[in-house]
Amino acid sequence: MFSFISRRLLAGLGTLLVSTFAMYLLVSASIRPFEDLEQSTNPNKLEQIAQRRELLDLDTPAVIRYFKWLGDFVTGDLGVGWRSGQPVSNMLQGAVISTIQLVAAATVIAILFGVMVGIVSALRQYSTFDYLTIFVSFVLYSLPAFWVAVLLKQWGAIGFNDFLKDPSNSPLVIVVAGLVIGLLCMLAVGGTVKRRATTFAIAFAATAGAILYLQLSNWWLDPNLGPVIILVTGTALAFAITALTSGLKNRRALGASLTTVVIGLALYYPLQSLFRMPFSWMYVLGLALVTVAVGIAVGYLWGGPDKGISARAASLTAVVVAGMIFIDKVMSLWPQYMGAPAINGRPIATIGSSTPNLGGNFWVQTLDTYTHLLLPTLALVLIQFAGYTRYSRSSMLEVMNQDYIRTARAKGLPEREVIMRHGFRNTLIPLATIVPIDVITLLGGAIITEQVFARPGMGTLFIRSLRGAEIEPVMAYLVIVAALAILANIVADLIYAALDPRIRVNA
Amino acid sequence: MNIRRTSAVTAAVASVALVLTACGGTAEESEDGGINQDTAVTVAWEAPLNELNLSSTNGNATQNSVISYMLNSGFNYYDDQLELVQDESFGTYEKVSDDPLTVKYTVGDDTKWSDGTAFDATDVLLQWAATSATFNNVEPVTDENGEVTNQDAVDAGVFFDGTTPGPSLIDEIPTISDDGKSITFVYSKPFGDWELDFTNQFVPAHVVGQQSLELTDAQEAKDAVRDAILGSDYAKLSPIAKFWNSGFEFTSMPDDKSLTVSNGAYTLEEYVENEYLTLKKNPDFKGKNQGSVETITVRYIEDPMAQVQALQNGEVDLIGPQASADVRSALEALPEVSTNNSVEGTFEHVDLVFGNKGPFDPTNPVYGGDAEKAKKVRQAFLLTIPRQTIVDNLIVPLNPDAEVRSSQILIPGSPNYDKMVADNGSDFYPAAGDIEKAKALLAEAGVTTPINVRFAYNNENARRVNQVALITDSAAKAGFTIVDTGRPAAEWGTLLGTGQDQYDASLFGWQSTSTAVTESDANFRFAPERGLNNYGLYNNPAVDAALDKLQVSTDPEEQFQLQLEIEKQLWADGFGTTIFQFPAIQAWDEKLEGVEPITISPTIFYNFWNWKLGA
Repeated sequence: MFSFISRRLLAGLGTLLVSTFAMYLLVSASIRPFEDLEQSTNPNKLEQIAQRRELLDLDTPAVIRYFKWLGDFVTGDLGVGWRSGQPVSNMLQGAVISTIQLVAAATVIAILFGVMVGIVSALRQYSTFDYLTIFVSFVLYSLPAFWVAVLLKQWGAIGFNDFLKDPSNSPLVIVVAGLVIGLLCMLAVGGTVKRRATTFAIAFAATAGAILYLQLSNWWLDPNLGPVIILVTGTALAFAITALTSGLKNRRALGASLTTVVIGLALYYPLQSLFRMPFSWMYVLGLALVTVAVGIAVGYLWGGPDKGISARAASLTAVVVAGMIFIDKVMSLWPQYMGAPAINGRPIATIGSSTPNLGGNFWVQTLDTYTHLLLPTLALVLIQFAGYTRYSRSSMLEVMNQDYIRTARAKGLPEREVIMRHGFRNTLIPLATIVPIDVITLLGGAIITEQVFARPGMGTLFIRSLRGAEIEPVMAYLVIVAALAILANIVADLIYAALDPRIRVNA
Repeated sequence: MNIRRTSAVTAAVASVALVLTACGGTAEESEDGGINQDTAVTVAWEAPLNELNLSSTNGNATQNSVISYMLNSGFNYYDDQLELVQDESFGTYEKVSDDPLTVKYTVGDDTKWSDGTAFDATDVLLQWAATSATFNNVEPVTDENGEVTNQDAVDAGVFFDGTTPGPSLIDEIPTISDDGKSITFVYSKPFGDWELDFTNQFVPAHVVGQQSLELTDAQEAKDAVRDAILGSDYAKLSPIAKFWNSGFEFTSMPDDKSLTVSNGAYTLEEYVENEYLTLKKNPDFKGKNQGSVETITVRYIEDPMAQVQALQNGEVDLIGPQASADVRSALEALPEVSTNNSVEGTFEHVDLVFGNKGPFDPTNPVYGGDAEKAKKVRQAFLLTIPRQTIVDNLIVPLNPDAEVRSSQILIPGSPNYDKMVADNGSDFYPAAGDIEKAKALLAEAGVTTPINVRFAYNNENARRVNQVALITDSAAKAGFTIVDTGRPAAEWGTLLGTGQDQYDASLFGWQSTSTAVTESDANFRFAPERGLNNYGLYNNPAVDAALDKLQVSTDPEEQFQLQLEIEKQLWADGFGTTIFQFPAIQAWDEKLEGVEPITISPTIFYNFWNWKLGA
């Protein structure tokens, strides 16, 4: 194990060295530090050129400059972005944070939805739903990011903000939305004609009812979840989570989940006063940990032979309910947010990561961050989602054709257990190798997405420095991305070995 | 088991009920979340501010000058006709004598830095010291490994990195009046653009003193800077120069607020790296051009379409994105948005090469020493360039008001442009081109066609590729065969500057940043030293003589006459031709009134003192 890791690390280091060398030469060959001066008619152009030549040390061959740069780099001096005179380490700081903010949510959502849809589609292989999923995922997969982003801005921001001026849907829109959702649910669930009809009816009613409710309660302008929605949704999710993790037959798990819903509701009002205090993300993190702990405790208190399973279901439910309470609080500031002069009734943003001159407390700022993250996240999710759907579908299909699945079915296990315990888990093995590499690629910056949404992340840093012929930030960026890619590969190997007993790392 | 579960649920429900009743009272309390209720005008700009000292090497860039325009006031500024206007509320200046050129600047009594320190002659003095190279006593010397060999000397020496030609002509240390409000400069030789030498690019001398000489008191620091300069105290000037070169560089709000001290209508309030900066009106500012809106926010958006959509979504009020047909059609479709089509400072032109034994070189053996023949060939070639077609096909879709530019020196819209075009002889070359006249000239010259013309341009630039295609078609009709020597952007600059033996004509843009009369000098001069931008190796002693006079002329009318004389020579010689001014587009929300963009920097920010935010 140790020798495997050290061997891989050494090889990675070598790769890194060679690749930085190649990249340095390529970058220095392709940048044009004098481009802006070439068109200039400034009387002191000659001095400017001479100064810049001096500053950038351009009389030294690129190979020697590389070794100088390398020497500085390994001693921790990342250099300076010469156009602004800023140390590269400062430039990276802000960029890394912005990128992580953008990528984190997008990746999680894309994985959750992608895997979910992929698995359902695999279970309904060759059904209409399956074909529909394949069609949609290929369409999404082939969409260019800049185009998706522009369309999202047009409809998701500008269109939605216009809609908010007078938020009412015509009956036609409500019916069509209900039909579409109903149809999708019907196709996903499948079954006999009667079952399909029921599913369709329920989904149709739920969708149309929800839209009507939103409209009648003025939800668009004064959104909230409130105890009632939290109770209804929480209970539904408690059932769903229990059904997936342990099956509804496990009454203790169900009870534990429902208990956490009740506890969450009981704490709803006390928490509101807590939220009025000066808040920060540290508190949120602390409360999240408490939530998980409470969930586990409830699971154990319900007792029984498999306390662990109850604890798992309960803590999952607890997190969901706590999340809803948090969202509810953030939503409660929506009217004030909409009314702010800096927002001017148009909350969904198309650029940047925060609204200038907004002011406001933790909750307003959180809301503002969300309205800015919404569209870029959605753009990334749409594109990534497709990939995960494809991977998980094919992986699930392969697993479900294995002998051990047949064995599991033959020994009379309920289908839920066959799918969740024997099928789903093994499906995740190949995904475990894809996810780390995907995450790293994204950390390198969703260059186009960041550019179109004017977010100051890694991708923007890279592209701006490259255009400005600043080799040092470009190299810092490339080294980080290359190093992360090498690391991701090692991590993927290790995860694979940990998950799949057939693989041994010290082989 | 059943009983246990039921009781648990009951207990839970009961506790919920209890908590509900206990806390019901406080739930109604609303709060405004501490949201800022002020309104602001938001402007989109491409690149973020990186330095507030506009004269240093890194600070000399548009993204800095537009912000500084609102932060700082000055002795003069351009109006919408590109005429230089004195701002007497800031201070006055007058030419005291023509020989030697002597200029006296007097700072107004109410002119103050935003920290309360008075703006005075020392601030002007520092500007001179830094841009005149008078005190620069050391330059870094590098060995073949690129290592600076005289690092110690550089550390101890004085090196200001913002030398400009005008102040460099002031060798004598200027004199400051006793009240410290006036400063008098004596030029060692007359300089045409003296009015542009000290405008609005001042940095606070007291901050420089505080930071570099480790002083705390503002006045004391300012006096120290003044004494160091007047007394040529190199030991003190060394840290002053170092701080002046890079001390005002920042890309987010600096911890030390003294770096953002300004003397104009606004103060820098907030700066979030790569995202936006916020300017607040300076309540103590007494100058003429008072900020009219309380807060101006500048948001940094690189992508032109993103700027358009941000405008549509109300996130910004005013944009000046890079013009393209897409941007224009998107903007025109927007309701309640005013769009303005105009031009920017860069113009496209064709230059011919005189010194490469090519078809345009008078010393080409083919012409047997008859320079007149070569001139006719040049004129014929320039006549084939379909300037109007290029403008109609490529520029009008971006700017419906686009016109062919017909002056080598003056920007369309500048005070004397129309007079210049009427008299400079450019009417010899009709905008539409004249193939017949070109053929006739070639026949007169008695050269055999087809003539090969090697044409150099940046062939990664789609617009230039299209222009060359149009020129190729048209030139072929008169008997010129265009040989495409276009290069990718990376190689093109080198080819243009040093590869004159590989091309005969070139197509590219020149960018003007001011109306300085000496700016064109480097384009046309051959002797005593070839101008840096004279890539065509053009050589006309009459032009050189006129340029010499222009350098030292300080009378605007005389300056224009000299420029006219130069242009007459250029057009008659077939130096080259000018095609169009790069299109610019600006758009703003109709509720923002008073926007009036100008051609050169500060473009959309011009006139900020008249901005009004309607309902």
